Amino acid sequence: MGAGRAVSISLDGVRDKNLMQLKKLNSVLFPVRYNDKYYADALASGEFTKLAYYNDICVGSIACRLEKKETGVVRVYIMTLGVLAPYRGLGIGTKLLNHVLELSQKQNIGEIYLHVQTNNEDAISFYKKFGFEITETIKNYYTNITPPDCYVVTKYIPQSQSKK
Amino acid sequence: MGASLPPKEANLFKLIVKSYETKQYKKGIKAADAILKKFPDHGETLSMKGLTLNCMDRKPEAYELVRLGLKNDLKSHVCWHVYGLLYRSDREYREAIKCYRNALRIDPDNIEILRDLSLLQAQMRDLAGFVETRQQLLTLKPNHRMNWIGFAVSHHLNSNASKAIDILEAYEGTLEDDYPPENERCEHGEMLLYKISLLEECGLLEKALKELRKKELKIVDRLSYKEEEVSLLVKLNSFEEGEKLYRVLLTMNPDNYKYYEGLQKCVGLHSKTGEYSSDEIDKLDALYKSLGEQYTWSSAVKRIPLDFLVAEKFRDAADSYIRPLLTKGVPSLFSDLSPLYDHPGKANILEKLVLGLEESLKKTGGYPGKSEKEPPSTLMWTLFYLAQHYDRRGQYDVALAKIEEAMQHTPTVIDLYSVKSKILKHAGDFAAAAALADEARCMDLADRYVNSQCVKRMLQADQVSLAEKTAVLFTKDGDQHNNLHDMQCMWYELASGESYLRQNEVGRALKKFLGVEKHYADITEDQFDFHSYCLRKMTLRAYIEMLRFQDRLHAHAYFRKAAAGAIRCYIKLYDSPPTSSTEEDDELAKMPASQKKKMRQKQRKAEARAKKEAEVKNEEANVGVSKYGKRNVKTVDPDPNGEKLLQVEDPLMEGGKYLKLLQKHSPDHLETHLLSFEVNIRKQKILLALQALKHLVQLDAENPDTHRCLIRFFHKVASRPVPTTDSEKLISGVLEAERPSFSQLHGKSLMEANTVFLEQHKDSLMHRAAVGEMMYCLEPNKKAEAITLIQESLNNSPISSNGSLGAVKEWKLKDCVAVHKILVSTFDDRDAALRWKKRCGEEFPYSTYFEGSLCSTQTNVSKAEENGGISNGKIEKLDAMKNLAII
Repeated sequence: MGAGRAVSISLDGVRDKNLMQLKKLNSVLFPVRYNDKYYADALASGEFTKLAYYNDICVGSIACRLEKKETGVVRVYIMTLGVLAPYRGLGIGTKLLNHVLELSQKQNIGEIYLHVQTNNEDAISFYKKFGFEITETIKNYYTNITPPDCYVVTKYIPQSQSKK
Repeated sequence: MGASLPPKEANLFKLIVKSYETKQYKKGIKAADAILKKFPDHGETLSMKGLTLNCMDRKPEAYELVRLGLKNDLKSHVCWHVYGLLYRSDREYREAIKCYRNALRIDPDNIEILRDLSLLQAQMRDLAGFVETRQQLLTLKPNHRMNWIGFAVSHHLNSNASKAIDILEAYEGTLEDDYPPENERCEHGEMLLYKISLLEECGLLEKALKELRKKELKIVDRLSYKEEEVSLLVKLNSFEEGEKLYRVLLTMNPDNYKYYEGLQKCVGLHSKTGEYSSDEIDKLDALYKSLGEQYTWSSAVKRIPLDFLVAEKFRDAADSYIRPLLTKGVPSLFSDLSPLYDHPGKANILEKLVLGLEESLKKTGGYPGKSEKEPPSTLMWTLFYLAQHYDRRGQYDVALAKIEEAMQHTPTVIDLYSVKSKILKHAGDFAAAAALADEARCMDLADRYVNSQCVKRMLQADQVSLAEKTAVLFTKDGDQHNNLHDMQCMWYELASGESYLRQNEVGRALKKFLGVEKHYADITEDQFDFHSYCLRKMTLRAYIEMLRFQDRLHAHAYFRKAAAGAIRCYIKLYDSPPTSSTEEDDELAKMPASQKKKMRQKQRKAEARAKKEAEVKNEEANVGVSKYGKRNVKTVDPDPNGEKLLQVEDPLMEGGKYLKLLQKHSPDHLETHLLSFEVNIRKQKILLALQALKHLVQLDAENPDTHRCLIRFFHKVASRPVPTTDSEKLISGVLEAERPSFSQLHGKSLMEANTVFLEQHKDSLMHRAAVGEMMYCLEPNKKAEAITLIQESLNNSPISSNGSLGAVKEWKLKDCVAVHKILVSTFDDRDAALRWKKRCGEEFPYSTYFEGSLCSTQTNVSKAEENGGISNGKIEKLDAMKNLAII
């Protein structure tokens, strides 16, 4: 690892001008081709979608969607979180996820959840480190990858006292 | 002014002048009309009304009124002055000068007119006149600083620097001891530095140095002071003092290459060629090591040693130079090092070195001999460097493999796509290069540079309309690409013109090339405002430098390209004039000769009429262009596609205009004289063609094109009919006298000379092609032999020091394309051309021109899609992006 070197990791927002960076990342990180709605949601989520830069190179991203439940309560759905293979293990994923967790805390959002393929043990243990738990299993969630099942992984953030 | 009028009208006249100066034109017109009601023939009022209308974009009326006014009052300096101003506003400086002179004949001491005249004289470089006018101004108003300075500058420009010094010293004599006051210290300091630069120019070095030091406290610009001092010291051979001063300057800016060069000169370690003995290299090495310890942050001090070090020492220095930059991720590293590829042997050392780094990074994650791990991006930057390295060496397959590996590693780095695009361009696949540049562009829609690069690649691939659409994304909203012309975006106009010329759209090409030529006229024009500004602000050194720059403006490479492009267009127009319409031609062909003649005459008359009408329209349209009028008036280009440009009477004469500029400003370029030869041989100007030929032989006798011209010229001359007129006899006499001056032809027939040339250059493709072409030209029955000669050329690998790692072959894609064109057009031999194409397709597998096996137009559909293709889908995507870019 680049221990002892002055390596800077910074986050930047996604705008239409640099949307292609997110598309490039997704095309190599995930087996799925995301549709236009994915990118519209990501842009609409504002600060909840971020690109991670390692020494000014775009190497990872987190893309979220803000969902309003019938009760009017907002929750965060993490659509994708990924870092390019050579740059893993450098704390970039952690930085991206922490950003979303902190932002949710600040905005009094109590629920963050995502889907994980059932065999993706690395991802499951990664999220567990941050207090996420498996809350549901959905059979045949994916159509073109095996196994087709997924877990719903959720983190509930205890609401701060300011909630009136 | 207005003296002949009664008091009421005289006051109105003053109002016109005031309204003109304050740009309240409507008010001025009203006042003028009030006078003219009573005195309809009053000359000065008519003139002033005209001048005012000129500013309201009513040019034809303006000229009419000003001329009428002058006619009514020839003795009025006002009328002449106004006439001059009118001409000046249309950039007709010569006419304007005449008018001012007439005005001065009536009122010799009119300061305003004198000042206006002096500005025009400076602009037109009427230097003797400039000196005279400035002298008059100084005599009339010696208490004005500007008049002293102007007089001095005029003498300097008129190549009399010592006189200029005298004047400045006389001016200083008029100043008090405590001069300058606090608010004029900068101006005064500039004047002193200017005077010292004049002393230096006159070779009075010691006096200059003495003066400089004497005035040290009065010179505000400390850096210029020191640089001037050190320059004088070096010229006076005071190297010890010079060295000290250069070291002081280095502490101020340790990245200025000039200071390092100066220091090297002072310590006797400088060579113009950059070649040094091993003893000198050791000394230089020691010098830079000690400087490097002093200036740890300087990159110049680390980079310069790579220029003079060789072999092992070079390797070590390069190693420690490159490593931190790869770690940091400096995309420009290759361009930084690329000059080293011209030094013998260094490319090989760099190759081995960086390959070593790559291997170690892949195995251990760190540099050789280091336990510390590198950041993951280091490997990507290393691959990025290697790709550019192999591109430079012409090994495009390796280069592409490296860049693709880098893209796999980190697919988000835009520079990777740009470089891949460049490699493909060099390898000859222009369509794929354009597609990749577009991919790079899409990755950052806010980056004008990647946008421009993409536009350029599209133009190279002759996708002109796509290029226009892309370029427009970065012009002002709503404006079409005409905006690029207004922004003087010359690279775009040149690339676009060249693309049109390749596609045989001569009108559009001409439009672009002439557009660039116009920019240079505008730049010349732009200096006008500085004649008064610089004298007032005392930025004299910069002013003189600007004037000298303007004097050699047309030597600039972009102008050369534009002028050469335009001349080529005109030659093309001459060789194959545009046919009006095929139907008409058919009809013409059927008619008997006498009728044909009548028909032609009719046509010519009709054309002339149409032309006149077009001109009138043009003028109407151009009314809004007035430079001094409102700038924001948009005019519609009456000829956006350059169709009118095609209708020139005499294309070669048009081309001759630009040829003259090339001959004057770029006499050292082979192309200038090649074009001159082509134009003049067509015009049957034998002696001018001979002159061009002599320049060519003098510049580069071994060049294949020179050889072509030589043979063609004497072949043509030999077939001339026996001279009958005096001038023809004269020409023959000159030719006879000149022929012996071509040593190539001594005692040889042209065919023999051709053979000798082949013997001298038999390993070079382009020389063989020239010889083959000339063989066919001299003896058309030797066509087969000539073609065989060209086809038997071999693509050798040069046996040089660079050959050890991966063979780089000699043939250049560009040359092979040229040979193919010769086979098609000159020899008109389809089979031979086809054979050549097949062979080159193997030599250049990425070339779209030769349809090589690896080029994008040749491989299967899926790949074309992946590269973006040039299909409709592409344009849709672009439009989608356009919406985004405007927000």
